[in-house]
Amino acid sequence: MGRIVSSITDGKGFDLLLVGLTMVFLLALAGVPLVYNVVMSFQQVDMFNLSTFSRPFAGFSNYVEVVSQPEFWLIIRNTAIFVFGSIGGQFVFGFALALFFMLKFPFASTIRGLFLVSWVMPGLVVGALWGWILAGDFGVLNAILKGIGLIDNTMFWKSDPSLAIWAVTIANIWLGLAFNMMLLSVGLAGISQDLYEAAELDGANGFQRFSTITLPMMRSTIGAVLALGLIYTLQQFDLFPAITEGGPANSSNVAQYWAWQWSFQLFDFAKGATVSVMMLVFVLFASLVYVWSTRHEVRG
Amino acid sequence: MTAQIELQNVDKHYGTFHALKNIDLAIDKGSFVALVGPSGCGKSTLLRSIAGLESISSGTLKIAGETMNGVPPRKRDVAMVFQSYALYPHMTVERNLSYSLRLKGMSRADAKKKAEEVAKTTGLSELLHRFPRQLSGGQRQRVAMGRAIIRNPKAFLFDEPLSNLDASLRVQMRKEIRSLHDRLGATSVYVTHDQIEAMTMADYVVVMRNGVIEQRGRPLELYDFPANKFVAGFIGSPAMNFIASSIDASGTRLIFDEYSGESIALEQRLEPNRKVIAGIRPEFLRVASEAEANFHIEVGTVESTGSATYISSQDQMVTVVQSERTELKPNDRVGLKVDSARIHLFDAKTEARIVTDAG
Amino acid sequence: MNRLPAPKLFLVLALGLAALYLFPLYWMYVTSLKGSSEIFANPPTFWPNDPDPSIYPETWARRTMATFLWNSLVIATGVTSLTVLLGTGCAYVLARYRSVWIDIGLFAILMLQVLPASVMITPLYVGFNQLGLLDYPRTAVILAAAGKAIPFYIVLVRATFMSVPRELEEAALVDGNSRWGAFFFIVLPLARNGILVLAILTFMQAFGEYIYSKSIITTQSLQPASVGLSGFLGPNSTDWNGIMAYAAIYVTPIVLVFVILQRRIVAGLTSGALK
Repeated sequence: MGRIVSSITDGKGFDLLLVGLTMVFLLALAGVPLVYNVVMSFQQVDMFNLSTFSRPFAGFSNYVEVVSQPEFWLIIRNTAIFVFGSIGGQFVFGFALALFFMLKFPFASTIRGLFLVSWVMPGLVVGALWGWILAGDFGVLNAILKGIGLIDNTMFWKSDPSLAIWAVTIANIWLGLAFNMMLLSVGLAGISQDLYEAAELDGANGFQRFSTITLPMMRSTIGAVLALGLIYTLQQFDLFPAITEGGPANSSNVAQYWAWQWSFQLFDFAKGATVSVMMLVFVLFASLVYVWSTRHEVRG
Repeated sequence: MTAQIELQNVDKHYGTFHALKNIDLAIDKGSFVALVGPSGCGKSTLLRSIAGLESISSGTLKIAGETMNGVPPRKRDVAMVFQSYALYPHMTVERNLSYSLRLKGMSRADAKKKAEEVAKTTGLSELLHRFPRQLSGGQRQRVAMGRAIIRNPKAFLFDEPLSNLDASLRVQMRKEIRSLHDRLGATSVYVTHDQIEAMTMADYVVVMRNGVIEQRGRPLELYDFPANKFVAGFIGSPAMNFIASSIDASGTRLIFDEYSGESIALEQRLEPNRKVIAGIRPEFLRVASEAEANFHIEVGTVESTGSATYISSQDQMVTVVQSERTELKPNDRVGLKVDSARIHLFDAKTEARIVTDAG
Repeated sequence: MNRLPAPKLFLVLALGLAALYLFPLYWMYVTSLKGSSEIFANPPTFWPNDPDPSIYPETWARRTMATFLWNSLVIATGVTSLTVLLGTGCAYVLARYRSVWIDIGLFAILMLQVLPASVMITPLYVGFNQLGLLDYPRTAVILAAAGKAIPFYIVLVRATFMSVPRELEEAALVDGNSRWGAFFFIVLPLARNGILVLAILTFMQAFGEYIYSKSIITTQSLQPASVGLSGFLGPNSTDWNGIMAYAAIYVTPIVLVFVILQRRIVAGLTSGALK
């Protein structure tokens, strides 16, 4: 007993206690649910056996049913548009802004910091703002686009089935752009100025400096940013209920919102779990890429 | 004298890495012991094991007669001065000094008085209300010292405390630390990679390599009678010259194999034809006339600091130090003389000192 | 780069970009101040003809925002306390050592950080239902959201602890501290800034939490402001000035805190974001 106490005050027991408490908590609220999710996807879950533990085994029937839904491929396509559109937009604009703010001018870092305000705002509020900006007849975006002559007819961003998914993607690009920019700025700031000066003395022009110094030096940062983008995009949920609710007719529905709809609108928790497990495979793949690209930093 | 710190058969493993190998060491009360060696030799691990910051894998560690295995640092009553000084950046100098006293439960007023006393002896009186970031390197060093002194501990442990100071300050602090040690009559263990610090400050020097104590003794003992080639090369600056050699068939002459077989008479008979390494300190070689010379080198570089002139051979194997200036130029061929009593002989295989009557 | 002598031009360009980027925020405030016919004007007015702030108290009362915001506050406070309490010590240990076990722990935490809430909500809901936790819906949301916040917090606070020199803690141990003393009196005060920034960020995130609250809390009087907003939001909303007033009341505190602490938040985030 005395040895345990002295280990907790002076030895390894202290570390084990600190890590142990947290790990137990995380295991209970993340690890166990994760496994439970997989278990449920192979069960038949209905309102009667929801609160019991013994449920009939369903094999792959949940998976078969989910895949054979008429909207399945539409949702896959939408998820792909949403994910790649968001990552692409966030990355391109984020990188451009990060490069711009590396220029030396007064208040550069302060102004850059202001961009991050989008990132701390509640997702639902961002959704509400964009829902209003993208409104069809009275939306300010349409008015501006018409004003500068880019479009002639009103674009029904939220109710046109071919545009709806893009409406959410635009909002998500705005939401995540600043965070991308910040991470890329950190990477850019880590490149020694000497390298650019050396390249300049070697006769490299601006574009050559970018392609031979900046891009190769940023490789691990870019890998991490893209992987994080995939992870965060698949986590994005709040924009969907706020802007389109997945409509019209699932034309802007994506996997994460669909999973929630199964469980909390159709109360078919097994199908919700099934879609979740399918998503999880992608997320885990992305996080492996992320961990791999930051492995040097992790080990210090 | 009694041993204040005693290590018996101490081993330390980090996973598969064997950091300390069967260390036996007794440090007398009131003595100043320096642990030296190249980086990674285990000297810091040894010091940190004494402090309790590392646990030893096996063996016994005693401080003032009490076994300390598994006792946490706070119950060992030792003070430590760190390489980075490790001053608490969020505390003033006064609070840095008195922190350990307050932890022992001393009243705020008493601790403050004590801090003021210590500040006086270390010349910090004017700085008591400053924060560490407002101090110069030398002043920080003094605070770190003061923080150790104030506790009146069973032993002082120093972990390369001077390596962050510039050269002139380092020389000055060397003297201050030593005189402080004498005044307090404390027991000090001092880790350094700088053999000059060890030679000038310590009563005893312990030379370590790869987790093993290679030799221990008074500074000049190590200089005059290095136990092996490693210690011989580590102690003394510039480093000792080593020349691959052999004993002739009669056992009476040393042949410099690398210098076209030139030879010198030995003081006494050795085993014939034995392969040896001859060690000659640069300060005991001198440029000599053709008649006196024992062997010859081609001059590679000549460097002079004004007070001393360094002449090195083209193969960089031999250096001569002399206080006179020289007219020699690179590519000159020059004869060197050495007193054969000044030659250290080491076995070519084991690199251990070959003990002769001459020493 | 320094050959272009145009820092003022860049400053103007930067301000223009920031204005463009933050236009949605501006539009929120402007819309909220417009009358209910002016919001449908075509072309839209970029400054309200007749700014009318009376919509704020009206929305506040009609949408029972006091209750909603109180619930958001309770949930955010709970999540933040739990996260700081459980995450700080763990982050410290993960920063202090280097071994295979630490790497495994870090890897597990990175993996937990990436789980989408929409994936976790189904098993959490069913599990909470079985444990009877749904009778305490706000507690259930706090537990679920803390489970999501802690991994993120640990990863970033760990970076802060890494910047506290190990020797300081060792000096504290030699000076007579137990591990607890060294942690609380030396290490924690030195990591205070990073912890504070991340606690604030955690609070902001939890203040806007939606999916867990929406799924778990069915009693309106216990719902947070995000769920309250979703109640009158959808593809066919028309009450836009009311929605914008609600949104403005909801986010203005967050935006203010962010702008005031911007420098620290950005520094705290970037120091550890990629580590």
